[in-house]
Amino acid sequence: MPGPITVFSAKKIITMDASVEEATHVAVRDGIILEVGNLDDCGAWGPYTLDNRFADSILIPGLIESHAHLLDGLLWAKAHYVGPIDRYDPAGTLQKGLTNNAALVNRLREIESRMTDPTKPLVGWGVDPSLNDPIAPITRLELDQVSKTRPIFLLHASCHVASVNSATLDVANYAAIKAPGVLRDASGAPTGELREMAAMLVAVRAVAADMIGGSTDAAQFYNFARVAQARGATTIVDGGGSTYFDPAFLSAALAATAAEDFPARIVAHNNGITVPGADDMIRFAKALEGKGNDKLAFQGIKIILDGSNQGFTGRLRPPGYLGSGENGLWNRAPDELRTLVPALHNAGLQIVAHCNADQAAEMFIEAVALAQAAKPRFDHRHFIVHGQLLDESLLRRMVSLGIHATLFSNHLYYWGEFHRAHTFGAFRTAALNPAATALRLGVVVSAHSDTPVSPVDPLLTLWCAANRVSATGRVFGPRERVSAYDALKMMTFNAAYLLHRDHEIGSIRVGKRADFTILARDPLAVDSMAIRDIPVHGTIVGGRVFAAG
Amino acid sequence: MTRQIPVTVIGGYLGAGKTTLLNRLLAEAQNVKLAVLVNDFGSVNIDAALISSRDGETINLANGCVCCSIGDNLGLALHDLAERPDGPDRILIEASGVADPAKISHYAESHPRLALDSIVVVADAETVRARADDKYVGDLVRLQLAAADAIVLSRTDIVDAETCRAVRTWIETEIPGARLAASHDLDHGQMFVTRTFESELPLDGAALRAALAALPADVVRAKGIVRLIEAPDRHSVLQFAGRRWSLEPDTAEVGPLERNRSVIVCIGLAGSIDLARLDACFAGVLPSALPAALIDELHQGALRS
Ligand SMILES: [Zn+2]
Repeated sequence: MPGPITVFSAKKIITMDASVEEATHVAVRDGIILEVGNLDDCGAWGPYTLDNRFADSILIPGLIESHAHLLDGLLWAKAHYVGPIDRYDPAGTLQKGLTNNAALVNRLREIESRMTDPTKPLVGWGVDPSLNDPIAPITRLELDQVSKTRPIFLLHASCHVASVNSATLDVANYAAIKAPGVLRDASGAPTGELREMAAMLVAVRAVAADMIGGSTDAAQFYNFARVAQARGATTIVDGGGSTYFDPAFLSAALAATAAEDFPARIVAHNNGITVPGADDMIRFAKALEGKGNDKLAFQGIKIILDGSNQGFTGRLRPPGYLGSGENGLWNRAPDELRTLVPALHNAGLQIVAHCNADQAAEMFIEAVALAQAAKPRFDHRHFIVHGQLLDESLLRRMVSLGIHATLFSNHLYYWGEFHRAHTFGAFRTAALNPAATALRLGVVVSAHSDTPVSPVDPLLTLWCAANRVSATGRVFGPRERVSAYDALKMMTFNAAYLLHRDHEIGSIRVGKRADFTILARDPLAVDSMAIRDIPVHGTIVGGRVFAAG
Repeated sequence: MTRQIPVTVIGGYLGAGKTTLLNRLLAEAQNVKLAVLVNDFGSVNIDAALISSRDGETINLANGCVCCSIGDNLGLALHDLAERPDGPDRILIEASGVADPAKISHYAESHPRLALDSIVVVADAETVRARADDKYVGDLVRLQLAAADAIVLSRTDIVDAETCRAVRTWIETEIPGARLAASHDLDHGQMFVTRTFESELPLDGAALRAALAALPADVVRAKGIVRLIEAPDRHSVLQFAGRRWSLEPDTAEVGPLERNRSVIVCIGLAGSIDLARLDACFAGVLPSALPAALIDELHQGALRS
């Protein structure tokens, strides 16, 4: 027995469908799109309830965040955001960036004054001295101004550095820790800056054990989805590090996402990151096939080839990093990849490969070529995550092998200047994240935030791909800018395609799921520089309305 | 403070022979409780007869050794070992084939109960030169070799003597001062031998420094607590690892007749270290008689206390 029909009216519906471009009404029944057209067209299906809430708004297909990490949700649940970048929290409130140490100390004092248990550590995340003005380290001297007795632990945005106060140094017995990442002043005393996990670990265990992961806290799933939903996403990818193969974690995830008011769909990649061998990867991935629910699905298996470009650990082709000529680190050995990639390919899995710099991408392409030569597969949709330094020749090889990509377009905005000055120099920075060339050659590309690395905000990501402007206002590589239409397609249909879900989501078409994003203004009509500022009124997921605020 | 557990990092590129070496060390360890942290149980191949029990992330051996899986967090696995009431005598970490062993060694100093002993990098005599020229991993292989306190050449039994010599020469050229050993030289799984030098009399600092600078390349590590003629009121701490060494006065003052003894322990690669040469090195350091002035000083100090 089919359920009741709801017709949503809008000022304009942008379908992103290849055949029919626009409409004013969409009829929804049982979470599925029944008709798209005008009110009369929708009426052909019989009685309906007309929902005029969004009659003055623009309806677009639900935006899809194609690469993010559940860690974002855990951080919101367990720590205070105190970074320099503006971020919306799970309540939908904008947390303004704190861009100098004085502002940081003030905010921490505020948080501290509201804490009742005097022994509870104050844990924060997201700080990034490189984005502060002035650039200055965050040491125990600053943090002791907040409290000398309550342990304070601030995880930096890179997740590779932490700043702690004297109380934490004492509790964790740093006097006895010799790891070189424990920075010291001229007198030999720790400054409170801890670089890399070896230096951070005793502090993490002593005062921020929640950050270690494997948590089954339900709030992480809700926060993860909610932060994305408040910025207009209806689907968000959990990009691979989570342990869904662990029964306790899986049941926590299923329980959290089964709630009717769970605000977005999560598509989770299978874990090829912390699972060591191909056999276990395949076994776990096969076991999770079809194990999800309406809001949680498993798709693809994520492997990591190299590190991060801003951390100088991405694997570059010559001449390497600017100035030093050095190269980054492999996450898996190329010799292993030559057997792992074919094994996953042969098992019928979709491979999602983190390749930040171009040598990692070249290696992955080489491994897929081996796999295809041994066992040709069509429509596997293996895709590269980040692919920041892809060029025309790599992209053409990708086309011939059927490899696609989601690019890290946000990098140009947040780290464009940093890359120009410190990692890649002028030319390679201007060529970063080449969305226009990729689309022209037929690579299906999306773009992503990689939250918590940068904030999840699909409109901002779309804006970055369309404008390629840094935070300082410099345009990097104008030839690689894409039209607003193409950028919107990247964040909707193309992302759905990468997730093998373009038959269900990614455009507004009869028979697809009723996932929409509601905007105050038309992203295809406003000046492209204004797209990121378009207010998001809310989302509709499977026909159910979720307000933004 | 409780005794620190020495930690050795075993690095080297994928397939270099790290696990073969670890398997042997585990199987043949005697009178020493080793704990070995490995990336993947699948690759260790411990004789079932030697296994006494197995639970989740740990395999317990009848000889008291344990083999633990690193899982997804090396630091946690390592700290877990450090905090066991019945901890191991020595920890060996198998670094992943793509890791920079120097970075992994930082974990050996990440806990009050752990101390870095040395970095050993395994290199496959047959393939290391080709790997070092590979466009994907050449820089990594060189980085790993350069981080080593000692390089163990594996598979020297399957390459001919000429190739073996050529590889040794190549490594010595690429990594000046490299300390090399061939894995099949390693007797009975004893990767290291130790030589202890003791003296009841204070040592001549200048002679000791000269000896340290001239130690044979096979000495991987040396440690010592010594009393020097130049600073008789305190102990000096000697540290020698790889190509770096230090000899510094301890902060605490000691009574003149209290704990006079100087002890220096040298650790070298079994099968490769030339003990006679090492003895010759220290021969000039151990004094045959005390300078008269010092005897006076000691006597006066002894009277004062
Ligand atoms: Zn990621």
